[in-house]
Amino acid sequence: MLSIKQLSKSYQYADVRQNVLQGLDFEMDAESSIALLGESGSGKSTLLHLIAGLDRPDSGEIRFDGRRVDSEPESALAEMRREQLSLVFQQFHLISTLTITDNIRFQAALCQRFDPQYEGELIERLGLGDQLDKYPYQLSRGQQQRVAIARAMLHKPRLVLADEPTGNLDEASSLEVMGLFSDLVKRAGSGLLMVTHSQAMAAFMDRRVNLHNGRLAEIE
Amino acid sequence: MKPRFYWILKALLSHYWRHPWQTLFLSVGLVAGVGLWSAVQIINQHAEASYREAQSLLGAQASYWIRSRRDEGIEQALYIDLRRAGFRQLFPLVELEVSTPSGVSIRIIATDLLALPDDAYSDSDSPGDFSDTWVKFVQPPYRAWVPRVLADELGLKQGEQLRLRDGRLLPPALIQAREQQGRQVLIDIGAAMALSGSDRFSYLAVGPISPRDYQQLAATLPDHLELVENQQHIDLQELTESLHSHLTAMSLLSFAVGLFIVFNAVRFSLWYRRATLLDLRLMGCATHQLFSAILLETLVWSLLGTALGFALGILLAHALLPGLGASLQSLYSATVEAELGLSSMTLLQAWGITLLGLVWALGWPLYRQLQQSSLESGSSARQQQDEAIARRRLALAALVLALIAVLAYGRISSVTQGFMVLGLMLFAAAWMLPLLLAAGLRLAAWLVPRERLTMRWMVSDGWSQMPAFRSAMMALLLALTANLGVGTLVDSFRNAFVGWLEVRQSADIYLRAPRLDIQQLKASPSTASWLVDSHHRIGITTRWRGRPTLVRGIEPDAPDSLALPLSRWQGDTPAAALQAWREQAGKVLVNEQVHFLAGIEPGDRVSLETDNGLQEYEVAGVFYDYGNPYFQFYLPDRVVASNWQHHYSRGIALWLNHDNSAAMQQAEAVLKELGAQPGDWISQAQVRKLSVGIFDRTFAITAAMNALTMIVAAIALLASLLAILQERLPQFAQWRALGLRQGEQLLLVATPLLIFCAIAWLLSIPLGALLSWVLIYKLNIISFGWSMPLLWEFMPALQLAGVVIVICGLTLLLVSFQWRRKMPQALAQLGETV
Repeated sequence: MLSIKQLSKSYQYADVRQNVLQGLDFEMDAESSIALLGESGSGKSTLLHLIAGLDRPDSGEIRFDGRRVDSEPESALAEMRREQLSLVFQQFHLISTLTITDNIRFQAALCQRFDPQYEGELIERLGLGDQLDKYPYQLSRGQQQRVAIARAMLHKPRLVLADEPTGNLDEASSLEVMGLFSDLVKRAGSGLLMVTHSQAMAAFMDRRVNLHNGRLAEIE
Repeated sequence: MKPRFYWILKALLSHYWRHPWQTLFLSVGLVAGVGLWSAVQIINQHAEASYREAQSLLGAQASYWIRSRRDEGIEQALYIDLRRAGFRQLFPLVELEVSTPSGVSIRIIATDLLALPDDAYSDSDSPGDFSDTWVKFVQPPYRAWVPRVLADELGLKQGEQLRLRDGRLLPPALIQAREQQGRQVLIDIGAAMALSGSDRFSYLAVGPISPRDYQQLAATLPDHLELVENQQHIDLQELTESLHSHLTAMSLLSFAVGLFIVFNAVRFSLWYRRATLLDLRLMGCATHQLFSAILLETLVWSLLGTALGFALGILLAHALLPGLGASLQSLYSATVEAELGLSSMTLLQAWGITLLGLVWALGWPLYRQLQQSSLESGSSARQQQDEAIARRRLALAALVLALIAVLAYGRISSVTQGFMVLGLMLFAAAWMLPLLLAAGLRLAAWLVPRERLTMRWMVSDGWSQMPAFRSAMMALLLALTANLGVGTLVDSFRNAFVGWLEVRQSADIYLRAPRLDIQQLKASPSTASWLVDSHHRIGITTRWRGRPTLVRGIEPDAPDSLALPLSRWQGDTPAAALQAWREQAGKVLVNEQVHFLAGIEPGDRVSLETDNGLQEYEVAGVFYDYGNPYFQFYLPDRVVASNWQHHYSRGIALWLNHDNSAAMQQAEAVLKELGAQPGDWISQAQVRKLSVGIFDRTFAITAAMNALTMIVAAIALLASLLAILQERLPQFAQWRALGLRQGEQLLLVATPLLIFCAIAWLLSIPLGALLSWVLIYKLNIISFGWSMPLLWEFMPALQLAGVVIVICGLTLLLVSFQWRRKMPQALAQLGETV
């Protein structure tokens, strides 16, 4: 499903050029889940952005279901994100001016794959039934993260890219949310690539890889 | 609408529901800007339409006029003879200027309705069916058709008779909205002649006439009458064009200030929605879809802004029109209809300019927003860096604009070009301002002692506030500059005008009585006790270099001739130039209009067409002639009398004995005794009151526009402060949690605000002076052909500083209320746990 070859990316900070990714190779099968570990600043988030087509690599290629993410035009990448991907972040990225219902439905509405029955199921499993007419700022962070997960899963994407999805939550809540999240991803038949610092969260995944010095290494 | 697009639009527009203050400020900016611009646009177009309409009204629609060369009017018998000779195109007109006891000047126009050519009526006015109204109009006790706007101004009711200053009464009023009438009162010619006590017409109007008939008519006229082409409408357009251009420029300035609010509001709305825009992109919305959605949003805003702004414009135009109409009539005899006529073109233009303004305001911030590719792009460090780059780019653009303005300054040859250069200059200053604000912050930081940590913190917080205040400060700078610049222009004009009136209108009484000449007056034995001096004035009207021109003959020894204020002269001193003019034949004095518009300098020779052929005169000096739209040549009275046989009397000036307290009453009694009618003379005090009244009315619109522009700038400040509050509330809550008091927090916002306002105010002083200098010495000369000494006073600048402090105080007060309301919630959200 996802194939990355010789991927390099660097950034210019004042007079210094910092190489973040250096000739990185990576393969990921459909419906699998992988935890992406690494130190702060190792380039985990950069890798996620490159896969999502939010940034362009300096060199190398990224293929998602056979299409070249690194060279596709912006409009094609937007369509890919809309139809095939979901992104879940530590900061939730909910639309603050829309109600919880609208937030949950948003991406499914964009790609016109809205399934009311599945929506009901998600709302029930994530325990959001009493919050639907509220606005994001009226919810706790744990509840907001559940909304973000519901939104990410409602259109059953091929791949979910998650960047520290429970980083804002306490340990108990993190474990509870992660359990729900990984279960929903499996039941939807989606793949999950998740950046995390936590070994406990990584334990929910099929594979674990470590990003160090711009390259990935499998953790046994 | 596609469902996908609907959801994008819903997400973007929901911002306005959740942030009503921003919605309000965006609306206010748009509505205020469009309202001020369209008000002037409506007035200008309305005035132009009125001038066109005026051509179809009575005498003004005549092709030619027959008038007395000596300003003596036209005998009725002659008119009857001409009609009998077959000239059915002729109709008589009487024009009177009267005033009410309160000093309101009224123009009365009268004609013989039955003699009007058929095409002199609009359909609705046609007396063809000779209704009851028309019968009453032409039969005693007659009717005075009074336009509604004038009746309202005078408090005149239907059927009432208006009492004039001298006690005479107008016929019973018939109040109706006759658009063509403007502010003029229309009565039957019989009533007008009874009112004036004269048996003569002011002039005869000639309707459409064939070349053959024209030649016959010209040959038939006796020598003391002249047949002149009616160029009133051409003159009106020429004469009033500059005034309308000034108004348009002011309205554009107000629009620009309004646009800064829009820019601010749009920028904030995009800034607050940057997370939404990013989310939408993360969820797969393409840039072009977001762009289309915001374009649609812009379109909706432009329509809303145009509709509401145009409605405000109509209200403003209604409020400003009477004053402006009265001024146009007083200054140029131009009639502006009382009832507003609206054109769809104005509405379309308003929409076009709104849309352009919005696109201008939105274009760059939107481009920046949509260009942000990474999730870290909104970081504080990046924002500060972007802000510094934006400041430098703006300053560079400002330098380019300033350079263009300097290069173009010498090539200005029209009012429009002049205002374009002024616009460049003002925008250059506005764009330079952010760099100066940054420099001001650095300077303030340098000045604050190192041990004053709190003070240093307050100053340094200005860097965080600067992006929010940038546009508002530009709006404030423009508003302050406009106020100072235009205020200085008006004050200079008023000061020069009043001083000039003191000298030019030094006589105590001005008498214009055709039956009375100066010899009679001098021969009267009862004048000795009250009359010190008397001088007559004669003149002719002509055209010189295509412009209406007055050639005046004045007695060289008259007190006001001796003290004529000259702006340029031949020889060493003004007194020497005046002496040469008095004593040497062939010398002429010209007004500034001749100097500036026709390029005549002292020492140049000008040729004037006289009855003795073309005569050359050497220009001895140039005299100030404020507000006069005509060329004027002053010659000794004997020269005018010998060169123009058909000269006419322009009245007699009387200087009274100021030691005699009853001189004025005695003078009036003698004048009545000698046959002068009340209204034939006017005292110096009345002349000044009328003149200053016209002046103040003319510039009332300027004061109104200045005040409105300041209000718009104040709204921009308030919008910025509220935006800062909304943006930084969590940060302020954290500081509050650390023990910062509300007063200190307010000071934290107020300190940079006051620094920024002080910089904007300081910059507005030289800029305002520059603006008034360009207005007085460049645009006024191009527009009107006269200049005046620039009167720079520091007090208006100080008053404006006071206004700015009040605005800051009020906005901070409003913000502190908002703070008090929102802080508890912000504090509650601190350290929130799951």
